[in-house]
Amino acid sequence: MFKFLFKYPLSTFSHGHFVLLAPWPTWRLWLAVAIVSAALALRLRATLPHTGFSSPPARAAAIWLLQSALAAVVLVLLWQPAVTVTELKPQQDIIAFVVDDSRSMALAGSGGTREAEAIAALHDAVGAIEQRFQTRLYRFDNHLSRVARLEEIQPTAPATRIGDSLKQLAQETDELPVGAIVLLTDGADNAGGVDAQTIAALRSRHIPVHTVGFGAEHATHDVEIDDVLVPPHALADSRVASVVRFHQYGYSGRKSKLVARDAGGVMASREVTFGADGAAQSETLLCNVGATGAKAIEFFIEPLEGEENAANNKASRVVNVDADRRRVLYVEGEPRWEYKFVRRAEEDDRLVSLVTMLRTTENKVYRQGIKDPGELADGFPTRAEALFAYHALVIGSVEATYFTPAQREFIREFVDRRGGGLLLLGGRYSLADGGWSASNLADLLPVELPAAKTTFHVEPATVELAAGGIDNSVTRLVDDPAANAKRWKTLPYLMDFQEPGTPKPGATVLADMSASGRKMPMLISENFGRGRTAVLATSGTWRWQMNLPVGDPIFSTFWQQLLRWLVAGSPGHVTALVPNQMLIDDGGVSLSAEVRGDDYQPVSDAHVEAHIIGPDGLSANIEMAPAPDSPGSFLTEWTAERPGSYLTEVIARRGDQQVGRDVLTFQRMNGVAESFHTDQNRELLTSLAAQTGGRYWHPQDLADLPDEIALSEAGVTTREARELWNMPIVLALLVLLRFSEWFLRRKWGVV
Amino acid sequence: MKGLRRATVVVLLGLSTTLLAAQRGGFQRRFMPSDEYAATGDSKHEFAWSRLRYTPLGGSFGGFGGYNRGGFASWSRDYPKADITFLAALRRLTRVDARSYQQVVDLESDAIFNFPFVYAVQVQSWTFTDQQAARLREYLLRGGFLMVDDFHGTQDWESFLRGMRMVLPADKYPIFDLADQDEIFHVLYDIGQRFQVPGEQYVNTGRTYEKDGYVAKWRAIRDDKGRIIVAICHNMHLGDAWEWADDASYPEPFASMAFRVGIDYVMYSMTH
Repeated sequence: MFKFLFKYPLSTFSHGHFVLLAPWPTWRLWLAVAIVSAALALRLRATLPHTGFSSPPARAAAIWLLQSALAAVVLVLLWQPAVTVTELKPQQDIIAFVVDDSRSMALAGSGGTREAEAIAALHDAVGAIEQRFQTRLYRFDNHLSRVARLEEIQPTAPATRIGDSLKQLAQETDELPVGAIVLLTDGADNAGGVDAQTIAALRSRHIPVHTVGFGAEHATHDVEIDDVLVPPHALADSRVASVVRFHQYGYSGRKSKLVARDAGGVMASREVTFGADGAAQSETLLCNVGATGAKAIEFFIEPLEGEENAANNKASRVVNVDADRRRVLYVEGEPRWEYKFVRRAEEDDRLVSLVTMLRTTENKVYRQGIKDPGELADGFPTRAEALFAYHALVIGSVEATYFTPAQREFIREFVDRRGGGLLLLGGRYSLADGGWSASNLADLLPVELPAAKTTFHVEPATVELAAGGIDNSVTRLVDDPAANAKRWKTLPYLMDFQEPGTPKPGATVLADMSASGRKMPMLISENFGRGRTAVLATSGTWRWQMNLPVGDPIFSTFWQQLLRWLVAGSPGHVTALVPNQMLIDDGGVSLSAEVRGDDYQPVSDAHVEAHIIGPDGLSANIEMAPAPDSPGSFLTEWTAERPGSYLTEVIARRGDQQVGRDVLTFQRMNGVAESFHTDQNRELLTSLAAQTGGRYWHPQDLADLPDEIALSEAGVTTREARELWNMPIVLALLVLLRFSEWFLRRKWGVV
Repeated sequence: MKGLRRATVVVLLGLSTTLLAAQRGGFQRRFMPSDEYAATGDSKHEFAWSRLRYTPLGGSFGGFGGYNRGGFASWSRDYPKADITFLAALRRLTRVDARSYQQVVDLESDAIFNFPFVYAVQVQSWTFTDQQAARLREYLLRGGFLMVDDFHGTQDWESFLRGMRMVLPADKYPIFDLADQDEIFHVLYDIGQRFQVPGEQYVNTGRTYEKDGYVAKWRAIRDDKGRIIVAICHNMHLGDAWEWADDASYPEPFASMAFRVGIDYVMYSMTH
């Protein structure tokens, strides 16, 4: 219809530029329109009284407007309006047809497989386009290759890399007159999209990418895991919180089971209830990572009846389980039962070593857990390097002024720069009562301390789990979340409590306590700088140990988990990272390392080397280069060619001295990616087409493709002006204007 | 006749009460139950010196008075002056937030689990039911600390063991002699050479021992991690040394040693 009225397809107008072909300047046109309109107005005024046209001025104006419009259209036609378009030169330009033959194209489409639909569409489109242009046929998965016949395209490839394939096409055809690219795919890209470099390469050559989308935009019955967030490092025999993100279609309100398992069997599981269709959902699973070493954990949601794709119900992650002993410095200002029982709880923890200094008298400090007689012999460390040797710091009933201003600054840097953990306990000289609210460390704390000074009370307080502690590894005392919440409610009361104040925005309240009808936070945590801080507003948890039967692990479990959380995130002098420890179908890995000295300032002059051990005896040494503009950071790129696990040890040296080392593991898995994100990614395809000057097509609309594809500025082109004066719509407009005037005059009686 | 008999009973009861009370100082604060101290508002502290009230051989579990010759109420010997004097020293010499008066605990209720340090005297006369023994065992294995004092000689030792072995069997919990280098003697004060601390009888007799307890025995029972859970002060009387520390006739070195040992034991119980 559009083409009937306007003579040309819409694309001619969207790609073209409007011009007036007459040799006269445009301003004369507007002047002529103005003169004619004025003349028509005068004429109307002169003739109206004689014709008895005594209607209101609005009617006269309407007549004048119609006459003027008609005159204006005629005048514009005299100036020869046209649209100039850039077109490909027939038989000189190349149209590249690029077909996705990854495994997701073998999924069912509206008629047969997606691949079958694409080939059928190609048959029609290529035939029509071949009459006007040269064509080339390509297939792609994670790279591009040219094919001679459609039969060579089989949907079996394990990955889809649209961006990389287009970039390759742009490079390989650099010398060729490519007029347009027709991309037939479901858009299920495994690389996360098309990068800006590829878009820029296509745009610089003005090559439009016409995308043709196949497959449904979402499944009717499917559950898919989108991501699993697992800390890359964990301490042996620790509970680790894994956040599993997923979405589903067709199972809203139904239940299934979320399971984490490793080679040894099921590590943890919980029932999940599905939310609204398509809505992102996340569930936390706490599981014990067990013994030391790299651990591959598979997370899966048990498939439901009628599920279209069960392969996307699972995802694997790698956790490096460390056995390095972490040291916690616990400073206590007075002998307290909590001190004794915390020490006892930590004696059973083989990975956390508790070093304590206790003020037994005004001038005497009793040390326990020290490595040698010199450790802490002069009291609390007076040098940053000495304090930063610990992974976490616990401060008990100690006034803020017990520490010198320099020591307080070290404590701040301990958290902020070194990335250590800081835990403050309640007590007579703690928190607000110890003057901490007036110290420079107040902003480290996860609470705004009260202004009052009598906040510590030797009164019983009952405890319960707060919302933030339900899925937290610190407060998970028993595996089952419901039983855990119940267990907290039945814990013996605390011997004392301290008013902690108000949690800061960003802080998490893990447990609450109630005393004298008042409920207040008991355990609050937050991240600060590179580290983390927490307040435990009591010194009376020891009563759990003394009032529960021998062998009840609750007290020990709580304290071990609390201190492990405190130390687990404290980095060493070298921190090695990869963006993703699970390499899915693509072995490219960007390895980075952050190197810091004893004072945890970045070390830029280190010599950093990565030693990678892989499957089949593979061993590689790679030197890492300093990252520009990022002191202390070192980078390298490497490719894991074969599937399997890769152990990487990164060592930083300064001269002959080792600054530090770190170990990480990553794993390459093939044939997994194509099971995920199998829905048609229309957003990606539309965006790609829009950014390159192409258009997104439904397969059934491809009949218009040959006309539209010719309008391209790429390759060998010709510029053409298409006149508009003879468009049917113009004639219709002239008739309509004249008829409208006649109709109104007749209606108003002025004919 | 009936009235005479009733009058005789009343007189005898009154006389016996007067005798008990008059022993070592008459009607002192030792008759005042702990709760009355609590009314002074001095009850909210971290540490409470807890004295174990046990059932002595021959009965009379409940009374106060420390009458030791009749064999009853032996748990309260030197009570409460020894406790209060020791607490005064503990509060003055250390940073322990200690209550200024003692707490009496017994094995009849779970309240003992709120007081992780317990002091017991005259333990040659203690007796336990199976339930009491189990509760004391539970107390010690959960993390409680027991200090026993003021029993002397071979016969007392054997009597002490009878009760102790109901609580902690010999095969799993042997009794060790403490050495100079044991940590319990170094937590606050470095106590190297120790000597026998006699009771108040030393003032009149010049003897540092009682019965056949000629040599002081510093002994202990440890848990499976090697931590001392029962500190045994045999052939000595630290409680008397605390009680008579303010008496000019009682030699100062004995009192000093008793205070240092007591404070170290408390410190050990709060750190191990």
